[in-house]
Amino acid sequence: MKKKKKEIQPDTSRLPKTIASVMEPYGLTEDGVVCSAPIDMNLSGEFTKGYVLLSKEKLYVLISEAIPGEMIYFKGSENLHKMSQQTAREWTVSEYDLKQVLNFTVERNVMGGVLVKIDKAPGVDYEAEGDGPKPEGEATVIAAFSNKCMGGIARMEKVGRKLQKGEEITEEDIKDKSAEAYCPTCGSMYPDADRKICPKCMNTKNIFFRILGYLKPYRGRILIMFLCYIATACLNLVWPYLNGTVLYDKVLARNEAFLQAMKLPAGKFALALGLVALAMIVTKLLTQFVGIVQGVLTAKIAPYMVKDLKNDVFRSMGSLSVGFFTSKQTGSLMTRVMYDAEEVQGLFIDGLPYFVTNVFSIIAMAIIMFKMNVLLAIVSLIGMPIVFFVSWRMLPRLWHRYGRAHRASRSMNARINDNLTGARVVKAFGQEESEMERFNKTNERVRSADLEVVKYDNAFWGIYNVAESMASLMVLTVSAYLIIVKKQIDVGFMMTFAGYVTQLTGPMDFFSHFFRWFTNTMNSAQRMFEIMDAIPEIREKEHPVHLDHVKGDVEMKNVTFGYEKNKPVLKDVSLSAEAGKMLGIVGRSGAGKTTIVNLISRLYDPWEGSVTLDGVDLRDLDFATLHGNVAMVSQETYIFRGTIAENIAYARRDASREEIVRAAVLASAHDFICKLPDGYDTLVGTGRRDLSGGERQRISIARAILCNPKILILDEATAAVDTETEMAIQKSINLLINGRTTISIAHRLSTLRDASELVVIDDGKVTERGTHDELVAQKGTYYKLKELQTKALALKGIE
Amino acid sequence: MGLTTFQAADDDFNLEQMEEETEEMLRLRYLNRENAVFKKTSGGFVSLDTFGEHYDRVRVVRSFPFTDPTHYISIRVADEKSKEIGMILDIGKDVDAETKAMLEEQMNLRYFTPIITKIKDIKDEYGHAYFDVETNEGPCKFVIYMNSSSVVHLTDTRLLITDLDGNRFEIPDYSKFSAKELKKLDLFL
Repeated sequence: MKKKKKEIQPDTSRLPKTIASVMEPYGLTEDGVVCSAPIDMNLSGEFTKGYVLLSKEKLYVLISEAIPGEMIYFKGSENLHKMSQQTAREWTVSEYDLKQVLNFTVERNVMGGVLVKIDKAPGVDYEAEGDGPKPEGEATVIAAFSNKCMGGIARMEKVGRKLQKGEEITEEDIKDKSAEAYCPTCGSMYPDADRKICPKCMNTKNIFFRILGYLKPYRGRILIMFLCYIATACLNLVWPYLNGTVLYDKVLARNEAFLQAMKLPAGKFALALGLVALAMIVTKLLTQFVGIVQGVLTAKIAPYMVKDLKNDVFRSMGSLSVGFFTSKQTGSLMTRVMYDAEEVQGLFIDGLPYFVTNVFSIIAMAIIMFKMNVLLAIVSLIGMPIVFFVSWRMLPRLWHRYGRAHRASRSMNARINDNLTGARVVKAFGQEESEMERFNKTNERVRSADLEVVKYDNAFWGIYNVAESMASLMVLTVSAYLIIVKKQIDVGFMMTFAGYVTQLTGPMDFFSHFFRWFTNTMNSAQRMFEIMDAIPEIREKEHPVHLDHVKGDVEMKNVTFGYEKNKPVLKDVSLSAEAGKMLGIVGRSGAGKTTIVNLISRLYDPWEGSVTLDGVDLRDLDFATLHGNVAMVSQETYIFRGTIAENIAYARRDASREEIVRAAVLASAHDFICKLPDGYDTLVGTGRRDLSGGERQRISIARAILCNPKILILDEATAAVDTETEMAIQKSINLLINGRTTISIAHRLSTLRDASELVVIDDGKVTERGTHDELVAQKGTYYKLKELQTKALALKGIE
Repeated sequence: MGLTTFQAADDDFNLEQMEEETEEMLRLRYLNRENAVFKKTSGGFVSLDTFGEHYDRVRVVRSFPFTDPTHYISIRVADEKSKEIGMILDIGKDVDAETKAMLEEQMNLRYFTPIITKIKDIKDEYGHAYFDVETNEGPCKFVIYMNSSSVVHLTDTRLLITDLDGNRFEIPDYSKFSAKELKKLDLFL
């Protein structure tokens, strides 16, 4: 099946070949194109093919006529090998002079967007205009596209703006970061260009051997286990023979030749019977014994293997960057990973050995049966495929129904959980009745899903048993014919045969679902390895710079960054905090303040620009310097499971009791801790003693104090507490910030009164900066905020 | 130190104006054929004249895009802040037919979502599902992640499917599909 296919490369040239001739009359060649991006809709919103090209002077939009019935490929569905020959198209080209136009912007729609050309407003001298927003002229839609093309167009929009400003275009600007990548084997587009894994031809062989690697330390035990399985298979073969042929045809039928062959004295059939009985008992005992050994070995290997797998996954999870955890598709990946380890173990410890022995038994049984009687063997093997077919066709559907019932009951549990946690709200609004109704609906769904399961389950087992009985019946009928009419075989012979037939159905059943099991497990394994192999976005450089003495100068230079592609949260932000001084960051929620903090503590790297500590780019700095000198107190305090003392010493496990207490005192946490019956040994965290918001906050401040960082980041550190507690915390913070570089974010401006410089962030940009007095004098956003907080929100009568 | 400087600037601060602005934010203003004039621009947008203000182009947004697409149409300023200018309570009654058509054109573009009319194939492969479908916009092939957020049940029979890029596809009523198609879709029901 594997044919060597011609390597086809996607067309990545700046001027796609298909439209090169179209652009000829416009004098545009590949060299003249600065960057290009495909689009997939025309202006009336029909799917078609098109391009936007950008030269140094002009922007061209090419739209072809829509071809009815033409397949539209979205991300991940394209296949290079199967891509049809480009059909001849009629192109409409529009050109726009960059100099005549104010700018091009993208208007986002629910699914995709449009490229809008904004003209210059008539009679405005743009040369004289400052940096602020400029008056806009007529707006015109010039291109439409789905989300698939959004990345390319957004990049083009940026390059266009740079060209208009006369700025230099770098390789970085035109590099297609969202460029699609294709699987070299089958030509399918990768669903995620950054994770080059082709779901269609994922290399199961590699994964398989990689898991086998986890079994290596236990190979001795596994070998014994295998022997046990083979022994069981052999014993299973012996049993019907003893139980049928030997017992009935030889001993009970008083066969003298048998006694002779066994070297027993003639006529002593009672002795022979005793011996056969003994042999049968021994066989049964042996079977049991081997089964026990097998069980013990499984118990000794499986948990170890699972432990190894889970450890490896957890280790790699720890080293991954924050971005990995927050991205959508990996979030669901994580939750399944631990379950995946069990799944993998299940197949490799239970499934595979069973698979091998089943293959062995089927072959052995078939050989024996054919040796015993060809006609009977053929008859019994004819029945088998029916049984196999029934279980192969019906079992997946049964599981599917089980899955649905499971999902229904899970959603019911979620509803119950929702109701219990929200019990206060339900009661306060008197919604018990309607909640009951909603519950009834989900409950009804569970009922019908369960009913479906039962129905199908009965149907399946009914049909399955009929098929199985039919097979046995056929064997019995033919046997009876052979015994009575032909007198070819005896009763015992028939019983042996019937025994083999029953034993065959076991392996048949197994095979009917083994392959599905195998695929699912490989899927699980792949998810696990994906996490193990994921390369953290934030990595320590190979030879990082280590600073022994950090002064504490922090600077952000022209930083642009966002969490999602093409959606920058920070746009060209520059700010700096001098060593030992305090920088205050002000802005409305969602303006990007916390993002700044995330970049300074290097949870993410900026797309553009740099963040430096003492003039060294954070990307060049070693983790020890970074983490030893930057500490954060944020509004989201996290208390780990453990004692209060452990929580305070989280970042410095070696801290002495004295240091912990001192830190707690400085954080004004000592008093409330001592009031707790168990003091510093109080167990906190999920499911343990609840701490109030202020208490948690103070513990996290103590944590930061103990860390003794050069740079302290306060992200709304006092937002969640009452005024009195805030005063207390503010006091400890004032102690804390002494001699450190502090970057403080706050809604309440009073918290920032000691800041030596203030920066106002709006919509991802720095809009104002200066000292308090300077900003007040500017009468901008800061002034407005300040007035609001001191005057508009002031209580009447307190002046 | 902070408090003294706070006092100094007091005179320039117009509290009333600020409160007015805040109240403005809280006001729900309805637009209708008496107080609002919409006009189609040559660039393919819609302009608006209302309450003595002129807007070159406005954004037309549905408040209930799934459950009530013809009521509570929010008209907003077409910039990043996207401040609301007013609401049209019922696009069928409150504006004339011409305006209605104009606004609907804007919304159709904004809420463009292919409707799946036929399912040719759905393949589930290693954490992704490959769809091959017929839509009212032509045949489409797309890929989704196999997780709960990719296929959302808007009602008991209405599905919204989101692909890898965030493109959306809708199935208004899956019970109308044939048994064969349903079997393919069964994975997500």
